[in-house]
Amino acid sequence: MEFELSEDQALIRDAVTDVATRFDDDYWMHHDLEKTFPTEFYNAMADGGWLGITTPEEYGGHGFGITEASILIQAVAESGGGMNAASAIHLSIFGMHPVIVHGSDAMKQRDLPRIVNGDLHVCFGVTEPEAGLDTTRITTFATLDGDHYVVNGKKVWISKAMESEKILLLTRTAKFEDSPKKTDGLTLFFTNLDREHIDVRPIKKMGRNAVSSNELFIDDLRIPVEDRIGDEGKGFKYILDGLNPERMLVAAEALGLGRAALRRAVQYGKDRHVFGRPIGMNQGIQFPLAESLARLDAAELMLRKATWLYDNGKPCAREANMAKYLCADAGFEAADRALQVHGGMGYSEEYHVARYFRESRLLRIAPLSQEMVLNYIGEHVLGLPRSY
Amino acid sequence: MRWALDSEQEMFADAFGDLLDRAASADKVRRWLDDGDPSPFERLLADDGWLAVGVGEDAGGQGGGLLELALTAEQLARRAAPSSAWTSTVLALPALDPERSEAAISNGTFAAIVASANDPFDDPAGALAVSEVGGALTGSVRLVLGGDRAQLLLVPVGSRLFLIESSAPGVSIRPRALLDRSRSAADIEFDGARATRLEGDAPAILADAALRAAVLVAADSLGAATRLRELAVEYSKQRTQFGAPIGSFQAMKHAAATMLVDEEASRSLVYYAAESVDRNLAEAPLHAAAAKAQVTAAGSRAAESSLTMHGAIGYTWEHDLQLLYKRAKLDVALFGDPSRWNERIATALELVPAD
Repeated sequence: MEFELSEDQALIRDAVTDVATRFDDDYWMHHDLEKTFPTEFYNAMADGGWLGITTPEEYGGHGFGITEASILIQAVAESGGGMNAASAIHLSIFGMHPVIVHGSDAMKQRDLPRIVNGDLHVCFGVTEPEAGLDTTRITTFATLDGDHYVVNGKKVWISKAMESEKILLLTRTAKFEDSPKKTDGLTLFFTNLDREHIDVRPIKKMGRNAVSSNELFIDDLRIPVEDRIGDEGKGFKYILDGLNPERMLVAAEALGLGRAALRRAVQYGKDRHVFGRPIGMNQGIQFPLAESLARLDAAELMLRKATWLYDNGKPCAREANMAKYLCADAGFEAADRALQVHGGMGYSEEYHVARYFRESRLLRIAPLSQEMVLNYIGEHVLGLPRSY
Repeated sequence: MRWALDSEQEMFADAFGDLLDRAASADKVRRWLDDGDPSPFERLLADDGWLAVGVGEDAGGQGGGLLELALTAEQLARRAAPSSAWTSTVLALPALDPERSEAAISNGTFAAIVASANDPFDDPAGALAVSEVGGALTGSVRLVLGGDRAQLLLVPVGSRLFLIESSAPGVSIRPRALLDRSRSAADIEFDGARATRLEGDAPAILADAALRAAVLVAADSLGAATRLRELAVEYSKQRTQFGAPIGSFQAMKHAAATMLVDEEASRSLVYYAAESVDRNLAEAPLHAAAAKAQVTAAGSRAAESSLTMHGAIGYTWEHDLQLLYKRAKLDVALFGDPSRWNERIATALELVPAD
């Protein structure tokens, strides 16, 4: 068993940390409060070539695996950038997986190099208000009309849609009730987010406000047939491939955020004096922080195992789900404790832990709730009857 | 609203506590448990008239209600005193008619409802599998709390209730040892045993007994938790490590404070639930369920926390902690664990809208 990062991996971690720490906590606080996209950060990551970490070399990327991508995204979150930083680049670094695996050569030649160099911002359009996590119940419908599809429907919680030029859009081309299997009849597109036919409305939300989350109202959007990914009706299968890597990346983000929060809590525990001594001397403060470190470290091991399994072509669903679960809980707990350690100061934006707290809470909900992870483990790992 | 024990109730609890301090000291309790014979203590309870508490004067009792019984249970548990005969009897007495109740109390006769201590007097999987033909009972029920101590058995058969003496022909009693030696149970088998039909609707009687059991077991857990906290605090003041009493360490203080918070919340729940069940309030089933689920879970946490605060000494046979620890743990499972009672609450909440 080998626990050491490879030379490349250590280099990635250090180099990304170096870029990310150029953007300090105040940078993120202002972008969060003002709800502005962190363009300077995004450009710095693009200039460093980091957006293409998993993109094949022939399209300008580095062709690394999910292990390296997770190390990168963890370093970004851990720098203090948190979810604002991670979400700014998240889809660029792995979200294009369906395009890479199932897209046409023309599409890949056209779009992937622009994603790698940062020119092309992208978002992921799957979830819908009426379907929730029951993805096969989506109703956004694409009707073939000559060499175009005409699409109508609604999407919700589409991160970064405001800032994106293209969208990876999941639709139905056959109704649920007309499909032999519920996973049939879904078709995936990678196409322009045409403002003439898609009304993008940002959702007011609790945190991660530098990157928008949006509702999309799609009205007679015309998509050229060549923007379809793979075959009609196979879209569900194409996105399924990306779900485990998605969970691992989110786990890495939760982990990085937890470490950022813990770092601030420890520093405050040393600096802040009450009753004539540093508050970190109190067991009531020291123990929860020590415990959080133990939980973060344990969660990280699960994440490393999951990404290793994926990169080695082995089944990883169990570990990917567990990594998401453990990292999200450990990360949130660390952020909550960091806030507690700061007392009243923690409630002000100035100390940044309130921002971490809001962001880390997101990861117990997204991209799927902790409870759905338990459903997965209960049903598919333990073999218990499906509970929902 | 302010709700507190009145002075009579406080005097009652103090008087019973004083009696137990003399009659059920730690060494006596240990002797009864080691001998597997709690009868000296049971005789004392019966002879001194403690079975009359919580029973109306018309039925041979001396008044008081479920609250007084809860105070009794709390005091018994504090000392890990053997109590299954008492518990099963006070749960069974309301099912008897006034004459039989009076006779049982004045003769110091212990009784038990023949139902599994795993369940809240319901019949999830045919656990109450006794049938009756021509006044003769046949069938068996496992794990009846106090079934080994009772002279009178109340046997639910469908919607009817029968009475039979445990010494009657055709009744066999197989005692079952529990991990908590301060309580005991028995598997009871009837083989054509002739019994007397009692008046009353068995399901209603059992439903009421379940609520009373929930409150009394919660009170038992509360008593054990109180003592577990007291022991932990006493020890943390005596024991020194790194040149300081371990009670001066914040982690210990916070653990003890958390136990006390749980305990106070539990006390409010138990007393209120007792009063609510006694007055037959509309929400009494929910109050009883909340008490059983919350208080026994808190008692179990108190047991863990107290053991942690004691370290290895608490793990020894010599230390009284083990008696209370097992007491609190059995209270979690007795008459249905917290999930069973939470399920009752969930059902009442109408979480899924009616069609």
